[in-house]
Amino acid sequence: MKEKPATVFVVDDDDAVRTSLRLLLKSVGLPVETFASAQEFVDSFDAERAGCLVLDIRMPGMSGLELQQRLNEIHAIVPIVFITGHGDVPMAVEAMQHGAVDFIQKPFRDQDLIDRINQALEKDRDNRAGLKERDAIRRRMQQLTPREREVLDLVTQGKANKVIAGDLNVSQRTVEIHRARVMEKMGASSLAHLVRMVIEAERAT
Amino acid sequence: MPTNADPATAASHSQQVTNELKALLDAAVDGVIVIDHKGSIETFNAAAERLFGYTAAEVAGKNINMLMPDPYSSGHDQYMQNYQRTGKARIIGIGREISAQRRDGTIFPASLAVGEIPGSGAKRFVGFLHDISARKAATDALRRERDRAQSYLDLAQVMLLAIANSGHITLINRKGCEILGYTETELVGRDWFEQCIAEPHREAARATLAATLRGDTSLLEYSEDEVVTSDGEIKLIAWRTTRVTDEEGRAIGTLSSGEDVTDQRHAEQALKRSEQLLRSAQAIAKLGNFEIHEPDGAALWSQQVYDITGRDPDSGALLLKEYAADCVHPDDRARFLHDWRRGVAETGRIDLEYRIVRPDGSTRVVQTLAQTVPSNDAQSLIITGTVHDITERKLAEEELRLGQERLTHVARLSTMGEMATGLAHEINQPLTAIATYAQALVRMMDSPSGGERAELREALVQITSQALRAGEVIRRLRAFVKNRAAKTETLDLNRLIEDLRVLAEPDARVNDVRLILTLAPSVPPVAADPVQIQQVLLNLVRNAIDALLEAPGAPRQVVVTTQLVGQDVEVCVIDQAGGIPPEVAVNLFNPFFTTKATGTGLGLAISHSIIRAHRGKLGHRPTPGGGTTFHFTLPQLPGG
Repeated sequence: MKEKPATVFVVDDDDAVRTSLRLLLKSVGLPVETFASAQEFVDSFDAERAGCLVLDIRMPGMSGLELQQRLNEIHAIVPIVFITGHGDVPMAVEAMQHGAVDFIQKPFRDQDLIDRINQALEKDRDNRAGLKERDAIRRRMQQLTPREREVLDLVTQGKANKVIAGDLNVSQRTVEIHRARVMEKMGASSLAHLVRMVIEAERAT
Repeated sequence: MPTNADPATAASHSQQVTNELKALLDAAVDGVIVIDHKGSIETFNAAAERLFGYTAAEVAGKNINMLMPDPYSSGHDQYMQNYQRTGKARIIGIGREISAQRRDGTIFPASLAVGEIPGSGAKRFVGFLHDISARKAATDALRRERDRAQSYLDLAQVMLLAIANSGHITLINRKGCEILGYTETELVGRDWFEQCIAEPHREAARATLAATLRGDTSLLEYSEDEVVTSDGEIKLIAWRTTRVTDEEGRAIGTLSSGEDVTDQRHAEQALKRSEQLLRSAQAIAKLGNFEIHEPDGAALWSQQVYDITGRDPDSGALLLKEYAADCVHPDDRARFLHDWRRGVAETGRIDLEYRIVRPDGSTRVVQTLAQTVPSNDAQSLIITGTVHDITERKLAEEELRLGQERLTHVARLSTMGEMATGLAHEINQPLTAIATYAQALVRMMDSPSGGERAELREALVQITSQALRAGEVIRRLRAFVKNRAAKTETLDLNRLIEDLRVLAEPDARVNDVRLILTLAPSVPPVAADPVQIQQVLLNLVRNAIDALLEAPGAPRQVVVTTQLVGQDVEVCVIDQAGGIPPEVAVNLFNPFFTTKATGTGLGLAISHSIIRAHRGKLGHRPTPGGGTTFHFTLPQLPGG
């Protein structure tokens, strides 16, 4: 992965609001990039870049909600903090239902915004770390032989070796050998650990 | 027959009788003529001789018809034969007036009495003839005199009526007959009251007659009475009545001259009624009139002018300058006199509105319309006109205007309410920027470096500008919603629309609609109330935005254009939404008609009346390709 620092992407059509946000975030040492419209952001979007989105919910052209929808469609995981006006609670609720981290009403205390941004950035880090972990597990699973994969599935279903031997029509001893190899290949320290990894791997991306 | 009679004695006796008879005949004043059955004259006395100028000898044995003028003379023989044959007499025993002819041919009137002389043998007749020339002349003179008097009576254009004590008509002239519709014979001798006075009035009329006869009334007493004509019509007669007395001063009746005043009285009543009508019309309309003579200013004012000004008509007619000084409100006086003189001098027409002060201190607003009319005298001028109290109308107009203003204001507030979300957003934006800048500044100053000077300065500049931005929105908002009297200014509509953007755009933005202004490079100025025109524009933009919200697929934009169309500046507000259904279009400008759940139905109705009050037109047409274009015009300023 490219080692660019996590960036706060600000999308707001109001010049003054946008510029003041840039200055504020800069003053607390956060890397900021600003966009005057949702479309402008979409055009330069790079899913690989870490960071979070500070998004005005109302904008001419593509609104904040529409941008969120678009990002969801392409499975982008960038966390969003919405900026809303007074009368926008229904829209904020909708945004939350669609996975927004939080929303904040204008005008806001700087610390509230910064807290939410940090929260979002943390979530982004978690997301990205989770993604990394999942990729590793999947790679390990791909190294299993078909028989080992069968054993893994049955073990994680909670079946005892003797039952698995019956199911596969092999000796109990053979099951034990496959099981040991699965544990080794997957790097599982316990059965519980193995089960967790399988669940993680099967999670939707 | 006596045989012992002495013939001589008998003869002398007979002679004596004859002589006596002759003396008797000759002494008679009347002419005596005896004729035989054939009409031959036997006896002709001295009076006859004097009457006719013949001697007895001359006429003896001649036919009596020699004494008659034609045609009597030629008819007399036939007459006598008829009598002898039929025994039917026309004169005998009756006596009549006849015409007789003297020897010299002159004819004179005479009365004739004829008797038949009894005896054996042929019939003989005696006639007594009396010259009645003198009597006749007197009678004729009297008749002529009477006829002349009658003709005077008949010539008189008044009714002349004489009534006896009994109430019977003794005389009535032709005019009287004409008025009453009877002939003279139908009236004379009849009871006047029965004949000509309607039953309900008879008693009183008889009493009046009695009073006149008693002499209780003055000479030529005046009275008015209704009479009934032959065809039942009621006529009003004005009478002058006097008592008629005999030589001894006893009343024997009354003589009256009467004039038919029915039409006159009707005319008078009609005039009186029309005067009353005029007066009450003036009172109801609070409209008085006047006539003023210049240059002296002498004036005639109708009662209503006095009523309006609260002046006493009995204190004498005010001169124009007195009217100005006493009645016209001091603040309006100079203008009143100036405009009056100018109107008289320049156009001959005066149209003034001014206040008057009544003696009780109350004020009325009046309008005076007047014009000069030609006068016979070149030196003077007559001005006729009206004084109209229009106070109530003015109050009502003011009331209406205030009501309209209140309603307009309500509509404005309502429009503003619909735009509240957008406007709140519009104010919130600069506040957010300010707060954010300020907090960034604090953080920068708190940082170890204390921040870069240029950045700190820029933030402060931005704070100022954003504070001003918020202030501007609030200022415009306040100007728009403030309850205010209408006031007309010279306006550049382009500029007005640009200014309106501050209020209109936030609303568009929150509804995700673009507001596009496509204004003509320049438009001539118009005279208009800026707030009212903004109200119309905002209302139209609002409606367009609402229409777009109902039309999901439509291009989300509202275009406002200006252009010069003829002498008018036209403003269009164009959307490409769903258009207006016909059933909505019909009611579009009706107050309280709305298609919006929370609409008041005032917006378009008031916009319509605002534009109309500016002498412009507000309408709509389909936008080519779909949607609606609302357009209104305002007349450009003359010379603008």
